[in-house]
Amino acid sequence: MTDLAGTPTTVRNDAADPDAADVARVLAGDVGAFEGIVRRWQGPLVNMAWRYCRDRGRAEEMAQEAFLRVWRGLASWRSESSFSTWLFSIAANVYRSELRRFPAAIPIDQIAEPFAAAVQLSDFELHSQRDALRRAVLTLPYNYREPVILYYFHEMDVSRAAQTMGLPEGTVKARLARARDLLRKRFPHLNPQVAAEPSLSTGKDLSR
Amino acid sequence: MKPDTQPGAELDAIDRVLASDDPLVPSSGFLSSVMERVREEAIAPQPIPFPWKRAFPGMVLAAGTIGWLIYEFIRTALAREWQIAFKAPLLAPAEMSLLTPALWVAFALALSLASWAFSKRLMRRSSLL
Repeated sequence: MTDLAGTPTTVRNDAADPDAADVARVLAGDVGAFEGIVRRWQGPLVNMAWRYCRDRGRAEEMAQEAFLRVWRGLASWRSESSFSTWLFSIAANVYRSELRRFPAAIPIDQIAEPFAAAVQLSDFELHSQRDALRRAVLTLPYNYREPVILYYFHEMDVSRAAQTMGLPEGTVKARLARARDLLRKRFPHLNPQVAAEPSLSTGKDLSR
Repeated sequence: MKPDTQPGAELDAIDRVLASDDPLVPSSGFLSSVMERVREEAIAPQPIPFPWKRAFPGMVLAAGTIGWLIYEFIRTALAREWQIAFKAPLLAPAEMSLLTPALWVAFALALSLASWAFSKRLMRRSSLL
């Protein structure tokens, strides 16, 4: 079972948990066992990094740094907690500090202008406008940006986003509401056609 | 807040766009690149821990010296400020003005020599020299 970003849904089962097994092997001295962890989590970590910076090369560099941080800190993982939560927290810390040092270079004037409703849009325009909205997230003030990134990365799960950021759910909800207000102001005429176009959606039922 | 908490709840356009981000597939060399870095780290020698135990006496000495210098500085400043009477100088003012800096230089040299000797002794003990 995977979520939007290909994240394996972690079901805690000590006997069959491949992450716990690989961590135990690594801690016993088998460096190669870490490959299993990277193989399983490379998609989610690269996708998460991509949402932070919208730059493929940089996303892979940041994800690599996150894996190295995970490697160094494997001994500190307590198996009582979810491996995925621990992993995502480390990755979020790495991405956050990386982007504070070198912010994602997306000036606000490079974001496409809002578009009018009730206009028949071509596929290219639809794609461009979706992309403009996604990039607009990176121009939000930092406190609002990260909740948006992690909320949608975690398939709109406030609880998991809050765990990843290490913040109370209420704080995340408040920041998320503010961020969505800012985005609505920026895209006041967001065309339902842009949102509902099935060709670029993941096909997942988001209204569950 | 969470638009999907209620079954059948309508998602707004922002939700639909941001939730439908196309997944990015890591490049083919990503896994090997990460493992290469991990293996490099695994075989790299552990960093030498700082010898706190051995350095402690030196740090205490340095802290004491600095504290003493601060005390002397404040004492001298206060003495000047409040015009505290000093004992009559044993030397003439001209000689005194030359002697005082010379004493400080001698003290600094002695302190440097002592710290050099001490650190050399520590290095010899830890077989680094």
